[in-house]
Amino acid sequence: MNFGYLIVVNENNKHNYSRLAYALALSIKNTQKPGYDQVALVIDDPEYIKDYNSTWVFDHVITWNNKKGWDGRSYMDQLSPFDHTVCLDADMLFLRDYSHWIDYFIENSELYIANKSYTYRGEEVTNNYYRKCFTANELPNLYSFYTFFVKNSPLAKEFFDLQREIINNPVEFSNSFLTKYKPKVVGTDEAFALAAKILDITDEVAYKLEFPRVVHFKGMIQNWPYAADVASDHVGFYFDRNAKLKIGNYQQHDIVHYVEKDKITLETINTLEEIAWKKK
Amino acid sequence: MKKGILIFAHNNRQIDYARMSLVTGSLAKKNLGVPVSLATDPSTVEWMRESNIFDKASEIFDHIIIVNRPQENNNRKFFDGKENFVAPFNNGNRSSVWEITPYEHTLLIDSDYFVLSDNLSKYWQVDADLLIGSGYNDIVGESRTGYLDRYISDTGVKMLWATTVMFKKTQSTKIFFELVQHIKDNYRHFADVYRFNPLMFRNDIAFSVARHIMYGFEQDAEYSLPPIFSVTDKDMLYDVDANKFTFLITPTMNDQYCITTVKDKDVHIMNKQSISRNFDKLMELV
Repeated sequence: MNFGYLIVVNENNKHNYSRLAYALALSIKNTQKPGYDQVALVIDDPEYIKDYNSTWVFDHVITWNNKKGWDGRSYMDQLSPFDHTVCLDADMLFLRDYSHWIDYFIENSELYIANKSYTYRGEEVTNNYYRKCFTANELPNLYSFYTFFVKNSPLAKEFFDLQREIINNPVEFSNSFLTKYKPKVVGTDEAFALAAKILDITDEVAYKLEFPRVVHFKGMIQNWPYAADVASDHVGFYFDRNAKLKIGNYQQHDIVHYVEKDKITLETINTLEEIAWKKK
Repeated sequence: MKKGILIFAHNNRQIDYARMSLVTGSLAKKNLGVPVSLATDPSTVEWMRESNIFDKASEIFDHIIIVNRPQENNNRKFFDGKENFVAPFNNGNRSSVWEITPYEHTLLIDSDYFVLSDNLSKYWQVDADLLIGSGYNDIVGESRTGYLDRYISDTGVKMLWATTVMFKKTQSTKIFFELVQHIKDNYRHFADVYRFNPLMFRNDIAFSVARHIMYGFEQDAEYSLPPIFSVTDKDMLYDVDANKFTFLITPTMNDQYCITTVKDKDVHIMNKQSISRNFDKLMELV
């Protein structure tokens, strides 16, 4: 089996994405079983990671700067060095071993895309505040933050080719297919959902499954009785010395998509590094 | 395993919980087919003797367990339809239930919870040490269910309803009830941590937090008792007739009332005064 996680980052001045990817890679090394903990980083300039203490957590570093911004994830199928890949958003943390689900995906899927997210309290997100385009245009509720695919799968190829077309021609596709609510930007999530809908493969690539469980830590979808822009203004984000994470009163065990980039501090990195070194 | 029901009743000058528990105890015994005991305090027993209900209570209850009256300054506003009054809310000794219950498998119910079906009987067989009412089910529906009926606070944990609690006498439930007591003793601290309103002690909150902690600070995915079908104290029990309860309810919590009936369904009636007004008819049921 040749399996690994793929993280695609494009550095910019606002957020230190390579540091987020580094934290995620450390958390993968710290929690996943050997054989299920390979990580490939796709980055526009490897200079950004050269000063990190443990760059060995990136089993592959791929330099790629053909496309700027988040569009890089649209090329995940072409960039991955693995036969079986899960592509992740950089601003996520792994908090326990999910390896058994990789066996499931390899056995049963050519392409699987996350189609649910959860609040920090473990409730499925039903609020469409950030997804009005999806509900208005009846798009499948896909999230690109966790995407499993098999290299050279015809289904995956057809899907990724179409979503690239959408990303590269957002106005044309918006005008034709997203007429009821046009998004400001056709992002990867919208492109994934529209591609799945056009190809009519939603039932194949996003069927009901208890995994991945990803906590989507955006303010407006936490089932609070008030509007909340920044989620951590309302509940604490407690990352302890054992790399265990509590949000508010809730211990987190699922994958956490923390969204707020400043949650990964130097202290967070040091904690993750210490555990990784001990494990090594 | 010896099983039975336990009800706490501590009277105050406004509300005769002991008299109410005669009805709820009898109904629970009749519909669930297990013995019922009463936990009460010396002054309430004295009042039961004075008001000539002690003999009746001795017939209904398997045991009348005398405990100390909870010493606390816990007042709350009670409604009786449109009227309201403030009265003591002496409910701070529920955590002692593990110690005082005469049963190995106990169903603890509030004295205003009317068991009109055998629904709860099914739960004796559940393979769980502790079951708590999983939520609030208002007679009108979702429109009258507030956020703080579902969660203990804006950002805190899911609210469980300690109106019904079933437990086996095990080491883990002993720890659970000790933890409930600890939360009660340090209520302001836990209010800070869990962001709930500390002004009035609520068993529902203490039980919810204890369950959350015992479950590893996660959403409880274990079995639970059914949501508590409830009629608020702004509604009124209007009439009782052959197991059919007739209520005047205010769907939008204003001055408009409409009539509805409940039959063969367990019901939590929060308007104590209206229970009291219908006491004789309720006793006819049993």
